[in-house]
Amino acid sequence: MPKKDGTERESIAAHLQACGYSRRDFLSLCTMLMATAPVGLALTDKTTPEAVAKTVGKAKRPSVVWLHFQDCTGCSETLLRTSKPDVASLILDVISLDYHETLMVASGHQAEAALDQAVKENAGKFILVVEGSIPKKDGGVYMKLAGKNAIDVLKEVGSKAAAVVSMGSCASWGGVPSTPTAGGASPTEAVGVDKIITDKPVINIPGCPPNPYTLLGVVLEVAALGKVPALDAEKRPKFAFDRVIHDHCPRRAHFDAGRFAGSFGDEGHKQGWCLFKLGCKGPVTHASCSTRHFNEVPDCWPIGIGAPCVGCTEQTIAFKVPIFQTVDVHSFTATPPDGYPLVSGQSGSLSAIATGLVGLIAGAAGGAAWVAGKKLDEAESEAPKASAQSGGK
Amino acid sequence: MAMTRREALEKIAKGSLPVIAAGCVSTAMPAKAMAFEPEPGKFPEEAVGLLYDTTRCVGCKSCVAACSKANDLAPDTSRDGLHQAPGDLNWQTKNIIKLYKSADGKEYSYFKKQCMQCADPACVAACMFHGLTKNEKTGVVEWNGIKCVGCRYCEVSCPFGVPTFQWVGFNPKIVKCELCRHRTVKGQQPGCTSVCPNKAVIYGKRSDLLKEAKARIAAAPNKYFENKVYGETDAGGTQCLYLSHVDFQKLGLREYGEESIPDRLRYQKMLYKYLALPAALYIAMTAVISKNFKHVEHELKEEEKHSGLRPQL
Amino acid sequence: MRTTKWERAVPVYGVPVLTRAFYVLASIFGVALILTVWREYFGLANPVSGMTDGFAWGIWKTFNVMVLTGLGSGGFAVGIGAWIFNNHKLHTVMRTALLTSFMAYGTGLVMLGIDVGRPWNFYWVALPWAWNGHSPLLEVAVCVSLYTCVPLLLENVPPVLEYFIYKVPNYRPTVEKIEAVFTKVYPFIIALAYLLPMMHQSSLGALMLLAGPRLSGLWQSPFLPLLYVWAAAWLGYSCVVLALVLPALAWKRPLDLDVLGLLNKIAVNLVLAWTAFRFLVILVRGDIGLAFQFTSDAFLFWLETATILGAALVLRSESGKKVSKMFYAHCVLATGGMIYRFSPTTLAFHPRGGALYFPAAMELITCMGFISLGIMGYLFAVKKLAILPASIEDWKKMEAYEAKAPKDPFARYLSGKQYATAD
Repeated sequence: MPKKDGTERESIAAHLQACGYSRRDFLSLCTMLMATAPVGLALTDKTTPEAVAKTVGKAKRPSVVWLHFQDCTGCSETLLRTSKPDVASLILDVISLDYHETLMVASGHQAEAALDQAVKENAGKFILVVEGSIPKKDGGVYMKLAGKNAIDVLKEVGSKAAAVVSMGSCASWGGVPSTPTAGGASPTEAVGVDKIITDKPVINIPGCPPNPYTLLGVVLEVAALGKVPALDAEKRPKFAFDRVIHDHCPRRAHFDAGRFAGSFGDEGHKQGWCLFKLGCKGPVTHASCSTRHFNEVPDCWPIGIGAPCVGCTEQTIAFKVPIFQTVDVHSFTATPPDGYPLVSGQSGSLSAIATGLVGLIAGAAGGAAWVAGKKLDEAESEAPKASAQSGGK
Repeated sequence: MAMTRREALEKIAKGSLPVIAAGCVSTAMPAKAMAFEPEPGKFPEEAVGLLYDTTRCVGCKSCVAACSKANDLAPDTSRDGLHQAPGDLNWQTKNIIKLYKSADGKEYSYFKKQCMQCADPACVAACMFHGLTKNEKTGVVEWNGIKCVGCRYCEVSCPFGVPTFQWVGFNPKIVKCELCRHRTVKGQQPGCTSVCPNKAVIYGKRSDLLKEAKARIAAAPNKYFENKVYGETDAGGTQCLYLSHVDFQKLGLREYGEESIPDRLRYQKMLYKYLALPAALYIAMTAVISKNFKHVEHELKEEEKHSGLRPQL
Repeated sequence: MRTTKWERAVPVYGVPVLTRAFYVLASIFGVALILTVWREYFGLANPVSGMTDGFAWGIWKTFNVMVLTGLGSGGFAVGIGAWIFNNHKLHTVMRTALLTSFMAYGTGLVMLGIDVGRPWNFYWVALPWAWNGHSPLLEVAVCVSLYTCVPLLLENVPPVLEYFIYKVPNYRPTVEKIEAVFTKVYPFIIALAYLLPMMHQSSLGALMLLAGPRLSGLWQSPFLPLLYVWAAAWLGYSCVVLALVLPALAWKRPLDLDVLGLLNKIAVNLVLAWTAFRFLVILVRGDIGLAFQFTSDAFLFWLETATILGAALVLRSESGKKVSKMFYAHCVLATGGMIYRFSPTTLAFHPRGGALYFPAAMELITCMGFISLGIMGYLFAVKKLAILPASIEDWKKMEAYEAKAPKDPFARYLSGKQYATAD
């Protein structure tokens, strides 16, 4: 890797070329990026891989500082669980990961120095990615980084960042460490990043872990276009979190037809039927797992392998609602589809021939009566003949 | 006019004979062909039914599919030629999920429609030859093809619009939910309750279901419409009970009060009791007509004399 | 237009049975017969009929049976006037009334047999232990069957016996013996013939009691059976008047304005009292508001009232003495009455939201076909038997005509000539 010498960063395209990546690999990456964010990301909206490659290629390699707090490192792992083409490397080469405790070689004082340098050199321009929740109890002493409280580290580093991305549920809203005990609060009062950094745009990417391409999309949008992608009320990028799993679930047809797995390993489960009865939280969980699977293996995601979704992105569900507790219907069915027969449905039919026939009969009867009446009138107005008349014609 | 007392008595006796016979027949008459006389508000000991809770129904329609399967009915795909999505109960569909949606779409509810198994069913009272009878043990309203004439009066009289007629073919049946009695007799659950994922509809003894329904209301007051269990006393009481979060009328469950539908025939029945009134009327009319007949015969004889032609009666 | 006193029933002579009109009616009936076979095989679904689960009764049960037997209540209504209230003048029209009744009930009963889905089970109607005493429809089925097959049939037998006496002299002794027995039991037969219609016409009304609130309050009430039998009474009178006036037009039969006036008077009294009672019932039950809403029910109610009341008022007035006006009035009255009997089953009946019914073309043709059968029967009977009333002079003329006509019926037919002197 070319040495950083504090001068102008080179563009991503140039860097990748220098690293020996083929244009084909880069286009593959851009295509993958487009698949991750089919809608909602300006970078990839209504465009071609070539156009994305051009935009991204021109962008300067963004500097990324990655901080770990109360985490399991799963969110970093998810970044690395990529295979062909060696996208992990691509990711690490597209962005400039200037500080990452797990991936960097340095440790100890060297690592400390690396962090200081990264922050100073790229002040105001780097993207801060945070993994793990931040404990607040007792002043935040339950997580220390190089002797400093996590909460202080975050505030310090965050103050210099251009944008902050919370990677994973823990950083987004507290995750596992924030699970309350019987007492009511979590043991360390763990919270998400946006409770600490309140003066800067924070982008939450919840998930346990989330999909790595969501992160890439956010980072590149910031780097290439200087914009934060459209976020929802919980600061989650809409392109990945605007829908619930249920709405894009491959097993949705089974739900709609009433085919449910009753227990693990039963006939329905073996057939791949809907896991709603097993407690699947898909109907109430916003995420993109149902369309972008993990580890780049098709169907490599919880529901795909027959395990009900646990709602890991949702603060109100993950690690709080029991995994096998079924979801309340009215919390996820907004308006039912119109395919149901309505209580006051139409039935019966009207044929043109029949209506015509009725008209004909009524008309004929009416007409005949009219004519008969007229004839009677005529007959009456004739002088009434004497009674000796024949029966006649 | 000179009819002797003897003649008068003879006439009355002759006139009464058919009437007395009719009276005997009517009293021996088997409205007792059915050992169990349905009465509003009265349920057999072992009366079974369903409890359907709209707040639990997800509208998955598993019950519709399961019902067809349990009853060996071919799925009705006539609406779009592909999906089992009937528009209402019909001879292939003993159970259906319907949807009520308010105009602005904000209020909605699913509604499971099947036979209500009333305490005093209109269909049982209407059926001419006991084609539909109420089982004296389980209280389920059952159809008997040997007695049914296919007159469809049961369809017209049912306040809930439940019985359906097989309109095609030359051996039509009346089809309606009978709580899967072929399954429950073997200890199995009816088709619909056996698959419901949310236990929105459950099967059991009516007394237990009523207790359960009341318990749910007590546990969540104001969740259920008017804190009411529909079917407790409605239309004389039904064995299939409903809990709903919206007005029952919107689901198609009209307000029927405590009076059962057959109750509306009580005045008619009074008129025909023991065929007493008809008999009395007949005797009276015979007497009057016999008297007048003498006049007429006399007149006819006069005419014959006058015209020379045979009298016409 | 000839007017004379009606003294005797005289067959329509000099007119063949197989006229063009008869052929038209026969062809309609023929088509209906084919459709009936189709119906029996294919069932009642579209296109055979427009009946659906929402409206399980189409027009066969409701029109051919309920409405037409109402029209065919002449035998019972006029009969009560003649035999119970001892109104001598009405005796002359009794045979006509009985014939129309028999035609209406006979074809209605056949139509009922075609309408039911499992007719092979209908034998239960003859087995009292199978009856469900609660069912008004059972009462209708038993009573109508019994009525048509016993008293009504027997009441129509005298003209047939008379035919044999005149036309088949060999059988005369036997026939006279039968006539003697007949005369003895006649009062019992006709008392039954008045009891049974009272029972089943009211039960026809009771049928829709089970509809409860699904039948509009402008019809629904505990008095529906009474209103139905009452309506049958004046409908019967209407039908009889029409059956007497139309022959005057078609075959130049004489009219007895006295008797017609009497029939009209009775009909008008019945109608006015009926209308008043109906309004009273609606007012007392508090349903009068329904009549002023903008619904099809309100429209129907006013249509019925207008036609029925309007016709009755015309009949009451001076213009009601003119035969043509009388005819129009009765047409309108009969129409109004038929609508009244039909509405509770179909037009004012709202079984479930959105259900709609319209008869299918095949259903209509079958209905018309059986009405044609009834008319054909009427035409045949009035030409062969002495049914329609006329004067004794007319009888003598008829005998003279018959004397001249060839005895062999086939030769008669071929000859086609009219033997009476035209005037």
